[in-house]
Amino acid sequence: MTPPASGTRHVVAVLLAAAAGGYWLASGYYGKELLAETAITAILAMSLSLLVGQAGLVSLGHAAFFGIGAYALAGFGARLGWPPALAMAAAVATGAVAALLVGLVAVRLAGVFFIMITLAAGEMAHAWFLKDRLFGGVGGMAGVPRLDLSAIGIDTGDPASFALLALGVAILVYLLLDRLVLSPFGQTLRAIHQNEERARALGCPVGRYKLAAFVVAGAVAALAGTLAAQRSAFVSPELLTWTLSGEVLIVVIVGGGASLLGVSAAAALWIGLRHQLSTLTDHWMLAMGAIFVVLVLVAGDGIDGAVRGLWRRLAQRRGP
Amino acid sequence: MIPAAMPPALAADGLRKSFGALEATRGVSLSLPPGRRHAIIGPNGAGKTTLFNLLAGALRPDAGRVRLGSADVTADGPDARARRGLARSFQRNSLFPGMTVEAALMTAAAIAGGLGAVFWRRFDRDRGLADGAAEIAARVGLADRLAVPVANLAYGAQRQLEIGLALATRPAVLLLDEPTAGMSPEETRAMQRLLAGLPRTITILVIEHDMDVVFDLAERVTVLDYGQVLLEGTPDEVRASDLVRRRYLGDRTG
Repeated sequence: MTPPASGTRHVVAVLLAAAAGGYWLASGYYGKELLAETAITAILAMSLSLLVGQAGLVSLGHAAFFGIGAYALAGFGARLGWPPALAMAAAVATGAVAALLVGLVAVRLAGVFFIMITLAAGEMAHAWFLKDRLFGGVGGMAGVPRLDLSAIGIDTGDPASFALLALGVAILVYLLLDRLVLSPFGQTLRAIHQNEERARALGCPVGRYKLAAFVVAGAVAALAGTLAAQRSAFVSPELLTWTLSGEVLIVVIVGGGASLLGVSAAAALWIGLRHQLSTLTDHWMLAMGAIFVVLVLVAGDGIDGAVRGLWRRLAQRRGP
Repeated sequence: MIPAAMPPALAADGLRKSFGALEATRGVSLSLPPGRRHAIIGPNGAGKTTLFNLLAGALRPDAGRVRLGSADVTADGPDARARRGLARSFQRNSLFPGMTVEAALMTAAAIAGGLGAVFWRRFDRDRGLADGAAEIAARVGLADRLAVPVANLAYGAQRQLEIGLALATRPAVLLLDEPTAGMSPEETRAMQRLLAGLPRTITILVIEHDMDVVFDLAERVTVLDYGQVLLEGTPDEVRASDLVRRRYLGDRTG
């Protein structure tokens, strides 16, 4: 809840980027896939962090905008044959419009009703793509093109290059959202979260601000979706399941809610653990659940809170 | 400039509000010229809080109008009225518990100033907002507690911040809902001094139980009873009224 304006976040950001870079150098083919997946999950989690951590809007339908972004890229890029860059931009815009439509209804509701309406909207989007013929229904659709960066000498078809691309987009999203979170707009969202009645009495058109946050979050989630569709060259209704919305929500909570870097680290933890545990046991979901329950019990403020606490203790030890 | 030609800073005309069978406000009219200090008193259940909420925009009247300056704001919600220069305090502290005093005051000024839509500048590095927060903090007696988290403030200081948040919006009209509620005698005196020191550019309407505060601050007093205006007059007139004494003041002044 505290504004994450401490200068140490730059240090942490560089450390996280360096860790990703080191992993990129050291890992093989599969590692590059994991890295791309981590970057995509981090973007999705950062977009939800704006809603949950800043505005206090807990959405259980965030995967809908992720999926809509992915399907829109498939539609514009594969079905209509638009250049991938243009199709990506159009897909992000589509995610923003979808978020605007859902948000117009959702931001009028509070608490559990907001959760239910976002869940319902997500399920409706999921149901639509299950039945839809244009994109292959339940079987999904292959042949989604990747961004063409051959002009600057990058072959995005290569997993190593694509992982770097996804990582670069994640860093860009971090820089933009960090700016947004620390701006008067971000502060207004936190004010609404802490005391909506007071914010309104001060002159804040609360609904419009919630809607703006919802649209930005939807657009960024759609951007993550376009990368997911490019990574597998494939879209399916799996992208819009409410369990994915729930997973991202868990990642955000474990990361510390309001901290963009915290939720990014949690995304890496989530993808890494899932990979490690699924090679060890068929009951990996159970094991992950247990690990995350323990994490939340041990560090109630998530990864961000734990790191801050550790930092404080170190500073005290060095001090008097 | 002819004072008589100026519209009242705040005016209510024939306000009515019912909750089911209960008529909480039954045709209340008020008119506050700019700079006026006006108090509303009345026994519990007289409809003070309902009237306050009708003026602040938290409730819509069944009948009647509310005017801010020359604008009819009857249909406006609390945020739209705030943007027209109306600020309110809350009877029970309604603050931003996760912020420091400085951040809370800066936030109030940013929202009221329409800066909330700015997304490319740093909020915490805005010198203008920080200077404004320091000025308001000095006015409400919190100058030495700018860096203190709101949740860590003592109750009396939170009451001061309650006024500070309203002042940070640079209001033309200030509605105060029992500003001394729950305060010690010492804190009450400090609050009286604070209110007495507010500039005349602000028109003030206060609901208050503490008669010392009312008679000290107000130039006009409206006595509410059963949702109606029992009497409106100067503090001396209200004190001298047999009717008011019987209905409300009781043996306090007897």
